[in-house]
Amino acid sequence: MFSSIITPDLFASALRMATPLALAAIGGTICERSGVVNIALEGMMLTGAFFGTVLTLATGSPWIGVLAGILSGVVVAAIHAFASINLRADQVVSGTAINILALGVTGFMMERLYGHPGTTDPSAMLRPIFNFPDPAGFMGGVWHWINVVVFSHTPIVYIAIIIAIFAQWAMYKTRWGLRLRALGEHPRAADTVGINVLRGRWVAVLISGGLAGLAGANLTLEQVGSFTENMTNGRGFIALAANIFGRWTPVGSYLASLLFGFADALQIKLQAFRGQIDIPPQFFLMLPYVLTVIVLAGVIGRSIGPAAVGKPYEKE
Amino acid sequence: MSDSKEGTSRGGFALKILKGVGTPFFAVLLAVALGSLIMWLSGYDAVAAFRALYLGSFGTPKAIGDTLLRSTPLILTGLGLAYGFKANLFNIGAEGQLFMGGLTAAWLGVLIGTLPWYAAVPILIVAAMIAGAAWAFVPAILKAKIGAHEVITTMMFTYIAKYIVSWLVVGPLKAPGPIPQTNQIAPSAVLPRIQSLFSPETLQSFPFLALGRAHTGIFIAVIAAVVVWFMLKYTTLGYENRAVGLNPSAAETGGISVAATTVKALCISGALAGIAGAVEVMGVHGRIFDQFSSGFGFTGIAVALLAKNHPIGVIPAAILFGALSAGAGTMQLEAEVPQKIILIIQALVIFFVAADEVFTWKVKRRQKEAVSSVQ
Repeated sequence: MFSSIITPDLFASALRMATPLALAAIGGTICERSGVVNIALEGMMLTGAFFGTVLTLATGSPWIGVLAGILSGVVVAAIHAFASINLRADQVVSGTAINILALGVTGFMMERLYGHPGTTDPSAMLRPIFNFPDPAGFMGGVWHWINVVVFSHTPIVYIAIIIAIFAQWAMYKTRWGLRLRALGEHPRAADTVGINVLRGRWVAVLISGGLAGLAGANLTLEQVGSFTENMTNGRGFIALAANIFGRWTPVGSYLASLLFGFADALQIKLQAFRGQIDIPPQFFLMLPYVLTVIVLAGVIGRSIGPAAVGKPYEKE
Repeated sequence: MSDSKEGTSRGGFALKILKGVGTPFFAVLLAVALGSLIMWLSGYDAVAAFRALYLGSFGTPKAIGDTLLRSTPLILTGLGLAYGFKANLFNIGAEGQLFMGGLTAAWLGVLIGTLPWYAAVPILIVAAMIAGAAWAFVPAILKAKIGAHEVITTMMFTYIAKYIVSWLVVGPLKAPGPIPQTNQIAPSAVLPRIQSLFSPETLQSFPFLALGRAHTGIFIAVIAAVVVWFMLKYTTLGYENRAVGLNPSAAETGGISVAATTVKALCISGALAGIAGAVEVMGVHGRIFDQFSSGFGFTGIAVALLAKNHPIGVIPAAILFGALSAGAGTMQLEAEVPQKIILIIQALVIFFVAADEVFTWKVKRRQKEAVSSVQ
């Protein structure tokens, strides 16, 4: 049974499951590093997932869907930015309102557009980029592992890895990154040396919306193939935990998401053995949520967030 | 947030009420206006929609009953959220505690068998309170000891609670038959409908008492509101709760343990959500199943914010959202507007209430600036 659980597609599936979490988590990292809490990742992801499917169904092109997903995430993020940066509203309250709004708007528009609640028709999906054959022999077996784990994926899975590395570089090696971190640690000091705090935070919140929207598009256009109401199922909150576990760094967020992705992949895999293991499927389904709590309990205290996160900035 | 000094005269008191009610009133008005605009832009007849919404929520005694039916759990979850907010804690996972409270009531409700109602009802309510508090306890400890954000942890516990319930109703607690649900609770544990308290003759002469499905759980909810109000205003526990919410470091200096207060606050918040689950089981469904709550825990957030965290204010706020939820069905049926518009209105209310606080704060700041520039 062990050898039928630990298969190359378990690891491939872990990478796939990690992707939406990682994209949203990196968005959360960038947002929180600028000093804005983003509880609304869940809603931004849901919106991205919805508009990704809607535009794909309308145009037939999943790439247009991806673009729509990103853009819709940015639009939702703009509401959060305006409320929490300009109006200085409570960022958690604004985030909650956005999550409820996303649930309402996607559900409402779904019934308006397709005449029924629940799930949309299946849309076109993004296909895996590579398609290498498996040669025979021992080397063929090794190659099979590499082929499945590394080369079997759809585009956004690779894009997420590139984004993680690029964001890490940008955050620590560029002037933009230095400024971003300053905004979240000590906005007053940043302001004193001439950094535009409000603009810097706006940019960070919009980027996080775009990434969460892309995460949603990955869910619908690469994993599921249709939109279901409330399909994000708490992934935005798990992504926030991944961001904390990854110590507010993009690569760290990605690696933490891999852990959650692996738990999810394992959970799905184990469900196939329901006949052999006498554990109800609900216990597998709750695994990612339990893991999130355990990870948070184990890591916090040693993982310290940006000093000024959650505090609205006001010029003197 | 609304802890201003007690009004010195009757006029002062009236002014205070007016101030407390004015801004939420405008928040609701604005949200409804924007909601109508969205309906109109989507090609729906907004006037017909609101007429249907009114009919389904206040149009007949039965409709009023439906509104009260849905307000009952909302009062309780709203109270829970408000109690947490007062201590600066955001119990976003009230839904999970509601599930655990409901589960406990459904389970014990079958077990208690032939106990009389005056024993059965309190036992179930208290057990549900303990279950709700227990479900908030781990997030509370994590918050108090290591600062793990309660928004993430209580949310995770909500998903876990839902999976536990969905397992139990197909597994160990499943009632015989094809439907995944628990057994019907004992008749003595059922909260009777309000109209069943009156004789048929009384109902005939006073038709407005025929409140359909509304049940006596609403009295439990109103009593809870008064108790929470009293607690916050007159007890040490409530004082500590407010002190920690207003200024934790000052509270700590003043000898209040912030950690202990945090744990107590989240557990009390959970206990209130737990009662909400119990009254749903005991007054509406008589059992528990997967979808027994239509997001009452989450709507409780909007209820508390609209009430500005005032325990008595929670009651009208809950009735408003209860009415929206009760009328939504009629609205979909008669005006063909998707029920989801209710969620949009709910989100808008939260935005406008949050923004309103900002505006009043800004005004205060300008006044302060004006004063300091004079000096």
